[in-house]
Amino acid sequence: MTLLEDILLLGLIVTAVAAPLCKRLMATVIVYMSFGLLMAVLWVLLESPDLAVTEAAVGVGVTTILFFLTLRRIHELKGTKDE
Amino acid sequence: MSKKESAWTRFAAWVNGEHEPAESRLFSMGMGPRKERRPEITLPKREEKQRLHGFLSWYPVASAVIGVILVGILLATVLAMPSFGQVENPTNNEVPAHYLQHTREETGASNAVAGMILNYRGFDTFGESCVLFLAVSCVFILLLRDENNTSQKDLEQAQRREQRRKRRQDVILQEAARLLSPFILLFGAYMLLGGHHSPGGGFSGGAVLGGALILYASAFGQDAIRRFFNEKVYNTVRVIGLMLYAVLFGYYIFTGANGLENHIPLDYGGLILPIDIAVGLVVACTMYGFYAMFTRGEL
Repeated sequence: MTLLEDILLLGLIVTAVAAPLCKRLMATVIVYMSFGLLMAVLWVLLESPDLAVTEAAVGVGVTTILFFLTLRRIHELKGTKDE
Repeated sequence: MSKKESAWTRFAAWVNGEHEPAESRLFSMGMGPRKERRPEITLPKREEKQRLHGFLSWYPVASAVIGVILVGILLATVLAMPSFGQVENPTNNEVPAHYLQHTREETGASNAVAGMILNYRGFDTFGESCVLFLAVSCVFILLLRDENNTSQKDLEQAQRREQRRKRRQDVILQEAARLLSPFILLFGAYMLLGGHHSPGGGFSGGAVLGGALILYASAFGQDAIRRFFNEKVYNTVRVIGLMLYAVLFGYYIFTGANGLENHIPLDYGGLILPIDIAVGLVVACTMYGFYAMFTRGEL
């Protein structure tokens, strides 16, 4: 179990460093989403399932959707330019 | 009566932006005398380039130094804290022991976390629910499309977008939503209703419910979801959730909170279960409201 935790913690660091270094905003959002997913699994391993569920629902799901909608609004995604 | 009514109509007109208040200069931004423009400074080109180059060379270094210092301070703080879960930690006193021992008989919740956030610290959660309610109301004020802020062009554009969406519907998304959204809704309801004895509760269950609504709306369009969840239902559910919480928790406080004698039966989670449902309704409406406002500006 500790090996899994170490891998997850390493993944947290990697995604946290990678998120601001991405060139495209969409890639940043996806990397941030994977950060939240790793965090949710870590919360389960740290024996706080309440936090894990909330992180998975709010931090990964709804926040990412809102980010994507904002990116579409500012025409950052491919194919969302106004005609 | 008529005077009061006219005051109300004037106030409503002022809120809608159709009527200027009497002391209009109190509310309108004044235009002061124009300031003299500063004479433009024109650096010689080479000098400016050098300055820019110098700035760009020390800027990353400075930011890296500041970041390393910040990380060092935070790490030193974390290392100076007592290690997690030790018996002699200062947080391990009689307060958590009391909560862990008496949560069941005082609140009716076998999940001590739920008993904590919804019963002992119920005011805290009530404040958070109000924050969510106000946040989604502010988003409504800013982004909701009505006859006052929508031009004909915007309407036509929205209609064109809707037609384009109907022309190329995403089969994968639709099939996945058809399969998944009932189960996600069921799981959200389970987390709402079982929050007092298992992980979950109002916030996470409500977020899952809102996620299911978002998935359904993004797959089938908002016309499909408007059949059972239009603006009227939305506002009713949202307000009833918050009022239910306020009334229940107020009743609990005034009949004697924190283990004093009260009339609320403690079977099936006691007060936790209805409060969980109320918080879940508010959170689900908040999530779906954000989505609807950000995509199309209407429910």
